[in-house]
Amino acid sequence: MFKLSSEGEAFVQKELKRYETKRSAIIPCLYKVQEENDGWVSPEAVEYLSGLMDLPSAWINEVLKFYTMFNQKPIGKLHVQVCCNISCAMNGGRELANHLNKEFNIKDGEISADGNVTISRAECLGSCGTAPMMQVNDNYYEDLTPESAVKTIKGLM
Amino acid sequence: MPKLTINGTEVEVKEGATVIEAFKQMNEDIAHYCWHPGLSIAGVCRLCMIDVEGARGPQIACNTVAKEGMVVTNQSEQIKDIVKWGMDFHLINHPLDCPICDQAGECGLQEQYMKFGQYDPEMDQPKVKKRKVVDLGEKVVLDSERCILCSRCVRFTDEVSKTKELGIFNRGDRSEVGTFADKPLNNKYSLNTVDICPVGALTSKDFRFRQRVWYLKNDNTVCNGCSTGCNVKVYYNEEGLFRVTPEHNEEVNGYWMCDEGRDIYKFANKNQRLLKAKKYDGSNWQELTAGKAMQELHHSLFDDVKTNCSKVGVVFTGQYTNEEYADAMQTFKSLGVASFFEWNDTADKAGDFDDLLIRGDKNPNTKGLQDEAANHSGLKKLEDAINAVNSGQIDTIFVMAPENISVYPNYQSTYEALSKAKNFIWFGANKTDGFEKSNSQNTYLIPMKSYIEKTGTFSGAKAIQKFNYVTTIVAGALTLSEAMTLFQGKEIEFELRSKPMTSLKNNHFTLNRGKL
Repeated sequence: MFKLSSEGEAFVQKELKRYETKRSAIIPCLYKVQEENDGWVSPEAVEYLSGLMDLPSAWINEVLKFYTMFNQKPIGKLHVQVCCNISCAMNGGRELANHLNKEFNIKDGEISADGNVTISRAECLGSCGTAPMMQVNDNYYEDLTPESAVKTIKGLM
Repeated sequence: MPKLTINGTEVEVKEGATVIEAFKQMNEDIAHYCWHPGLSIAGVCRLCMIDVEGARGPQIACNTVAKEGMVVTNQSEQIKDIVKWGMDFHLINHPLDCPICDQAGECGLQEQYMKFGQYDPEMDQPKVKKRKVVDLGEKVVLDSERCILCSRCVRFTDEVSKTKELGIFNRGDRSEVGTFADKPLNNKYSLNTVDICPVGALTSKDFRFRQRVWYLKNDNTVCNGCSTGCNVKVYYNEEGLFRVTPEHNEEVNGYWMCDEGRDIYKFANKNQRLLKAKKYDGSNWQELTAGKAMQELHHSLFDDVKTNCSKVGVVFTGQYTNEEYADAMQTFKSLGVASFFEWNDTADKAGDFDDLLIRGDKNPNTKGLQDEAANHSGLKKLEDAINAVNSGQIDTIFVMAPENISVYPNYQSTYEALSKAKNFIWFGANKTDGFEKSNSQNTYLIPMKSYIEKTGTFSGAKAIQKFNYVTTIVAGALTLSEAMTLFQGKEIEFELRSKPMTSLKNNHFTLNRGKL
């Protein structure tokens, strides 16, 4: 059964007071849950949050399912998001993602056998001048080649 | 009171009314899915488009407040075109599985396509497939690919039932309506979501696949499930009743009714009913017509009741009409009978109310019974009747039994206790299988008409409401008034019923039928 840390619960209480309606606090609270639940939001976590925030679980689920930034399946330790939007695509973003798929032997959204890596394709991450690029967890890695990307990821393991 | 012109005709509407309400007031056709008079405005279906003179472009009528001097039309070529292609947009991912869809015949998509669509689809992409036959609990089934995301059901659970189970998940063409983790939608008003669903996305488990709606007639009556007295429409054919849906009455039930009330039709159907009168002489049961039984009672008992009036008791339940109470009480009073009893198995919960529609008193007319009895000698408790029967103070008892026996848990035990009287006359609509054993040497069971089969008034918690005869299910049954007339040795005067047969039209939730 998922439960936020006491620091996490305090964060939720603070967010609840911050907005005019409790509903507005759903996004920051879901981020907190994702952070403390190994990078994804489970249905149990939604129910827990629903009790904590005193909001219907359907309302929280609506927000969760709308935004792709919330992961609805378990992910690896390193969440690699390769930008495949226009600038990156023109500079080999898709090829980079394909290369990483092959290198770590996983399809998009899957977890590698060692549990370390999940690769997914993202829309524009706002770093067009340094295409192609990827985001690993919260950090950007720019001006990549297939080789340098693999090296970077392996270095982070 | 702003006056505005709609399609060339001037109309005066309430202050603050929206343009779509003005259209409705005039019975003017306007396409729409998401707007419902009992819910908040969502403005998501984009079909109720109008041209307002002087405005920059087309507006949606549901979210435009009517103003003095406004000139509105939805008949321009531009608006017709917008509505037509708006329809196309709604149908891009709709499966068009009408032949296996239970909504067919009362479907907003079918009707509005015939009225406002009739285009040649130009979509060359495959349809997005979504989940079918999703079980949403005891009463409702969801087919999410039929859903057009009007959000009526979501707004209903948020605003009316306030249970907030439903939501719209995912986005774009993958959006679907549902409950969190497919939890059951088991609130007490869940079937209203089925009524307001303009398509076949939410269907009722009870009614699903039992009858195509075009084989049913419908008529209005008053629900007899509790003292609220919701206005309802019953759907029936020659086989009996099939379903009950709410009918708008702002003063009593708004646009809604509870799920429990929708099961009320079941006891009125033939398989639950006492079809003929029965009598028992201590050893044998014998069937006879209700009229014959009442005649026999007149000959054998009428004078006896008069002479021994202090040993006669009459038990009433709150399930008959005001007119029947008046006739029955008058009849017994004229014979000198003063012992009237009230039988109500939900009396201890009579004050309960859930602040929406459901009331604890599960009889439609307890108030009518008590008011009428107040003109006579009042009502005593059922226990007093049982005690008096046991002690022999009462040897002749007439019982006006309930028709909705699901709210009478002590139905059978009360029957058994009262049948100890020497003369036991039971008026009831329900069949008495399983407890036909009678203690009395002189038992009569008289079949009564259900509320579907008679005209009368109920004094509900909110209003005194008249309801009319809908259809005949048990031809041999009597009303209490008819039974009393026969008991007095008089004859029933029949009036020819000049009720026109109505067909499916002007349904609140699905607009008018297409004219084909």
